[in-house]
Amino acid sequence: MRKRMTNKFKYILSVVAVLSMLVACTTDSLDPTLAQSKNAEGSITKVDNLYSILKGAHNVLTGAGYYGRDMIATNEVRSDNCFSNGNSGRFTTQGEFEYNSNTGFMWEEAYEVIANANVIINTDVTTLEGDQAYGQHLQGAALILRALAHYDLLRVYGQQHAEGGNLGVPIVTEFKGEDLYPSRNTIDEVKTAIYNDLQTAFGMMDSSYDSSKTIVSKFVAKALEARVAVYFGDWDRAVSASEEVIGSGMYSIIPAGSFVDSWKSDGGANVLFELAFSEADNQGPNALSYIYRYPADAPGGYGDLQVVDDVIDLFEATDVRIDILGYQDGGTRLRNMGKYPDTPVGADNIPLFRYEEVVLNYAEALLETGGDALTQLNLITSNRGATPYVSATKDNILLERRKELMFEGFRFDDMMRTGMDVPYWGTIQNLLGTQSYPNNLFAYPIPIGELNANSNMEPNEGY
Amino acid sequence: MRAKLAWMLAPFLVLCMSFSYGQEKTISGSVTDQGGLPLPGVSIVVVGTSSGTQTDFDGNYVISASEGQVLRFSYIGQKTVERTVGTSTTVNVQMEEDAQALEEVVVTGYTSQRRSDITGSVVKVDSEKLGEIITPSVDQALQGNVSGLTVSATSGTPGSTANIRIRGISSVTAGNEPLYVIDGVPVNSGSVGTDGAYSSLSALAGIDQTNIESITVLKDASATSQYGARDSNGVILITTKSGRAGKTVFSINSSYGFQNDAITGPVPLTAAQRLELASEAYFNDGIFGSKQDAMDALLAGPYAEWDANGRPEARWDRAVANRDAIIQQHSFSASGGGEGHTFFASLGYMQQEATVVGSEFERISGSLNFSKDLTKNITFSTNNQASHMYQDAYLETSAYFESPRTAKFFLSPLLTPFNPDGTPNQFGGSTPNPLYLVENNVSDNRLTRIVTNNNVTWDFAKGFTFGSTFNVDLQLYNFRTYSNPEYGYGEPTSGDASQYDRTNVFYVFQNYLDYALELNEDHRFDFKVLQEYQANRRYFVGGAGQSFADGGLQNLDNLGTPTSINSSFNDWYVGAYLGMVKYSAFDSRYVLDLSYRREGNSRFSKKNRWGNFWSVGAAWNLNKESFLADSEWINALKLRGSYGVTGNALIDTNQFQSLIGFSNDYAGEGAGYLSTFGNEDLTWETSHTLDVGVDFGLFNNAVSGSFAYFNRDSKDLLLQVPLSRTTGFTSQIQNIGELNNKGFEVDINFNIINNDDMSLSLGGNISKVKNEITKLPTDPNGVESTITTVRTRIESGHPAYAWYMPTWAGVNPDTGQEEWYVNGVDGATTNNFNDAEAVFQGGNAVPTTTAGLNLNFSYKGFFLNATGYYAGGHKVYEGWHLYLHQNNGYPLTVYNGYNTLLDRWQQPGDNVRYGAPTTGGEPWQRHSKFLYDADFIRLRALTVGYDVPSKALENVGLTKLRFFVRGNNLLTWVKDDNLLYDPEVDVDSQNGTVDPGEIGLETPPARSISLGVNINF
Repeated sequence: MRKRMTNKFKYILSVVAVLSMLVACTTDSLDPTLAQSKNAEGSITKVDNLYSILKGAHNVLTGAGYYGRDMIATNEVRSDNCFSNGNSGRFTTQGEFEYNSNTGFMWEEAYEVIANANVIINTDVTTLEGDQAYGQHLQGAALILRALAHYDLLRVYGQQHAEGGNLGVPIVTEFKGEDLYPSRNTIDEVKTAIYNDLQTAFGMMDSSYDSSKTIVSKFVAKALEARVAVYFGDWDRAVSASEEVIGSGMYSIIPAGSFVDSWKSDGGANVLFELAFSEADNQGPNALSYIYRYPADAPGGYGDLQVVDDVIDLFEATDVRIDILGYQDGGTRLRNMGKYPDTPVGADNIPLFRYEEVVLNYAEALLETGGDALTQLNLITSNRGATPYVSATKDNILLERRKELMFEGFRFDDMMRTGMDVPYWGTIQNLLGTQSYPNNLFAYPIPIGELNANSNMEPNEGY
Repeated sequence: MRAKLAWMLAPFLVLCMSFSYGQEKTISGSVTDQGGLPLPGVSIVVVGTSSGTQTDFDGNYVISASEGQVLRFSYIGQKTVERTVGTSTTVNVQMEEDAQALEEVVVTGYTSQRRSDITGSVVKVDSEKLGEIITPSVDQALQGNVSGLTVSATSGTPGSTANIRIRGISSVTAGNEPLYVIDGVPVNSGSVGTDGAYSSLSALAGIDQTNIESITVLKDASATSQYGARDSNGVILITTKSGRAGKTVFSINSSYGFQNDAITGPVPLTAAQRLELASEAYFNDGIFGSKQDAMDALLAGPYAEWDANGRPEARWDRAVANRDAIIQQHSFSASGGGEGHTFFASLGYMQQEATVVGSEFERISGSLNFSKDLTKNITFSTNNQASHMYQDAYLETSAYFESPRTAKFFLSPLLTPFNPDGTPNQFGGSTPNPLYLVENNVSDNRLTRIVTNNNVTWDFAKGFTFGSTFNVDLQLYNFRTYSNPEYGYGEPTSGDASQYDRTNVFYVFQNYLDYALELNEDHRFDFKVLQEYQANRRYFVGGAGQSFADGGLQNLDNLGTPTSINSSFNDWYVGAYLGMVKYSAFDSRYVLDLSYRREGNSRFSKKNRWGNFWSVGAAWNLNKESFLADSEWINALKLRGSYGVTGNALIDTNQFQSLIGFSNDYAGEGAGYLSTFGNEDLTWETSHTLDVGVDFGLFNNAVSGSFAYFNRDSKDLLLQVPLSRTTGFTSQIQNIGELNNKGFEVDINFNIINNDDMSLSLGGNISKVKNEITKLPTDPNGVESTITTVRTRIESGHPAYAWYMPTWAGVNPDTGQEEWYVNGVDGATTNNFNDAEAVFQGGNAVPTTTAGLNLNFSYKGFFLNATGYYAGGHKVYEGWHLYLHQNNGYPLTVYNGYNTLLDRWQQPGDNVRYGAPTTGGEPWQRHSKFLYDADFIRLRALTVGYDVPSKALENVGLTKLRFFVRGNNLLTWVKDDNLLYDPEVDVDSQNGTVDPGEIGLETPPARSISLGVNINF
């Protein structure tokens, strides 16, 4: 009996032991599934993979925190074009210069663009399957985006219009590179890096690969170079860069008759590069359009960005650009009605580079270098139903830029680079004061999250 | 994986199919106490097996056992009796009173233990106590009943989640929720909702409270380390009801009641008050020369219609209220058993309306627990719970204009709710009428949850048991929204709709071997080895769009413009091996517990996938020592201590991998982007917990209780370490940083009167916990990487998410301007907010002291129970004050403010709380004025009832008839008079993405009064 028991016991134990071994979990059996993402390492094997990430970088630009709204709206509300009526509580902080290091802006988004661009730029194209020349073209496009993001960071956070010396922003050229705690480069270093990227890009790119206006193309490199050169007063560079774009013959000024309507459609002849937005993107209340106006006439939705009343007086009655303006709330609120017109959804593409700006940059650079600015300047007025200028002056050019590029986020930078003081208003358009130039408030504070994470980062003066 | 699954199932099937023949017979008998009175509820087990039963109301029992097997009879307060089964089929037992009255069998995880054998901090709450709170989600019933446990309901919306913290917070950016285990199997808790903007829906709301027998809370390492990498935050064990052998008992439990808000909350300004403040604002801004001029202008402008109509008050708070909202709960159950089987079956229904229009919760549920002795030594049991829940949710987690809860603040008092004919007024503007929207829009959560738990045990040799468990927790979730095209936010896009489906499946397999070894009477060992495999797969799909051809259409197929489609698939896997030994010497005089668990988790890279967790626990029952055995006044006295290492892996899946995501698109084409920074070195955070305590019973257990001290060091925190944003990322999850929680807990219970006619007991618990971050990462310069937001800061030497902001210095009596201290503490003040330094304000949002008080009184058939809860030592921050609680343009010209704003500055010398009104739109400035002490006391439950005497019931065939009136949240006391909202707020940081402890505009808790009846027959 005892023996039988023991045998049975051994039998049972061995059955249990065998079963346990069979069900044992191994390290591999606990691997998680990657269903909708891919491992970063080893997943860039084809030229097309670069294109995919390039689109991803463009998509970051479309975010409401960047060009999808805030980049343009923050500059306009800080200029003499607009103020915030605070209907939804938005942009009063920016418009009244009350921001501090907790006020979010585009710092994170811009470096996100740079990180994705760096992955493309630092890939060895010769190791990829596919058309390698096309791969180089895509790398050029990534260089343009990296330059654009650095320029945006510089004009928002750089100390060029404040009293904090020559601090620019960190130049980042590598994803997960050696130095994850960079300190700030000087303004000049950043500017030089931008010019270098753009020149390299222009050399790498081939226009025959440019098929869409919603992806940065070869001549965007020159258009951006001209813009940066005008911002910093590098006039010779501005002249030559503008001439490259103009000389391409690929773009033209929109004539007066179709100017207002051109904002309702995508990919006009004047557009070098625009960000793609569609109904499917459904920006909804975060759309740029939704901050410019109410969805209906009466106060509703957001519509915080209101146009300063006397702005309409800048335009002659025959100027087609006056039709960009309009009124809401029973004719009491002056509005941007014409640019980015799809209010509820925000499905309009947002042009970032259009030919008219290139012409105006060219005109100003010619003025500064003693060339024939007037001809260029009047190319704009003649296509807008406005009286031509009899002479080209700095004031005339700035005025024409203000009228042509109104609500597109240029005015604040124009005021800065020409050293103007900035008036600002409260929610009922009550003038609260004027910020005199230079001013620490003209540079945005470095975000608190960056300062806390990286003690190499110097804060901006005055915050 | 499929092959793996088959193998995991194999032992389960083998056991189901094996046959073995024993001479099992039915034993019956009765159990009486010392005085010969029948003892109901005596637990009877066949020693060495899992088969057991309990005596019925008359002390009778029926059980299957074989000759030679031992029946063990145990009952609280009685000495355990063992009888060997002989030839007779009747075994009658008379029990003797036992001084060691704490001898209760408590489910402690993978095992059950006698109270005196427990070496850790374990608290059990029985169904009676849980039932005192009528709520869809049983976790809320724990509030006040377990020392060291804080429960914060995230909202009063029916079905919402609650945050539970056991002994403080152990993690900064990983999860802090405890692990929930139903009938021995870990299950999913938390919100099942897909859209954080809408009301949350708790997975636990799928479990009908009336099916729960008891809840056990495990607090220390020796109790929890058996659960490995998910137990640092404590474990909550839910045991469902099972049947008892004997005649079938039918039970009906019903209650029906009415609810209103437990607190009044802020009272909005009337239109007349708002007019006065607005007039002052225009005058102060210099827009008008006098206040009267401003008022005249306003009366000619925006207030003209209101004035002409005889100045009616809109009273939005009344218009949106759902007064005396219904709460009802009904369940019907049958339980019993016969030869070798027991069962419990139930059906339940619950309905709860919100205290505002447009929200409700409804659940229908059923359960079947069945256990069958397949042979003399093989038992099969299956526990099944199924429920379907419906929650009419609404936008409540932010300042959504269309929420009926926020209407009284965000709607101008000049807008009237109703047309003269009683229909909702369809006014224009940015804030549509929520009364129309709740009628015509849809936002519904639906969840079907099925938990099935199947177990086979095989007592294959003396002392040996082999068991196999297979569990599935299936959650089918659906969420849909619809905005009508006629009015409101859907109007500009001709209506919009969305619909999302999620299938969430959890599998658990366990195989285990138990061995109970009794060397002799004095040395007893219990061994357990267990292997476990868990898998979770989550499938999600949904879409949204806009533009309907006509009203009345609500489904995606009818949409003209699809705007989004979403999908996701996530999974995680856990494999584990567990070994446990309990050594109990000299009738539990000395007890030693050892446990070791090795666990692999898919959340970590291959090289860091496996981790080791262990604990040691010991107890010394002094009352069993000879020098105390004869003590007249000490019935129980136990010293216990434990130390162990537990883990926390509550982070998102796939975080260790450096990833390119493809969920974005650009210009209509798919796009890739860097989505996860990745960290190959990622592994668990660990908690090292010391727990020491004393349990005692004195004076015939007239006084009983326990005291415990704990010290928990959490190391290698799974921290979202802030990165320089120049990397393209804001943070990377790393194992870095340390955190300490220490504190003590006291539980005490007084049985003041206990005789046949009357009983009175008073119980209470108090706990204190101190939370402190002890180490954080540093950057290459050696500077600590703190995490600072506008309200909180994470810095070593302070509690996690400590409040951190400029300090309000009051309203300057000379200028009427709000001022702050320049240095954040004292001295010079400034009216420029950006010049005021932010400082720590003391504490965080998690209570440092919690206490509960229970009173139970009965006299003849009448009884009264009360439960109170106190939480304190923490602070909460009022959200949305910029728009509602400051004298600026938002409340005065656009929305509406609280009537506290009337205490404003008007002339020099005024000492007031609110500055001079202005029409300006101020920027967000968060400071200590809106940070409040959140100490509160709440009378959670008060029940008065009557049990009809059993003699009277016999004639009508009933065994129990109880009537009661129950009030929940009848009274709330809040320490800070300036805190207008309910102080109970969401304390979860959502993995570091939000500041915990901000008061939103969520539904406050409801005060309810219900009538109920329990009938057994």
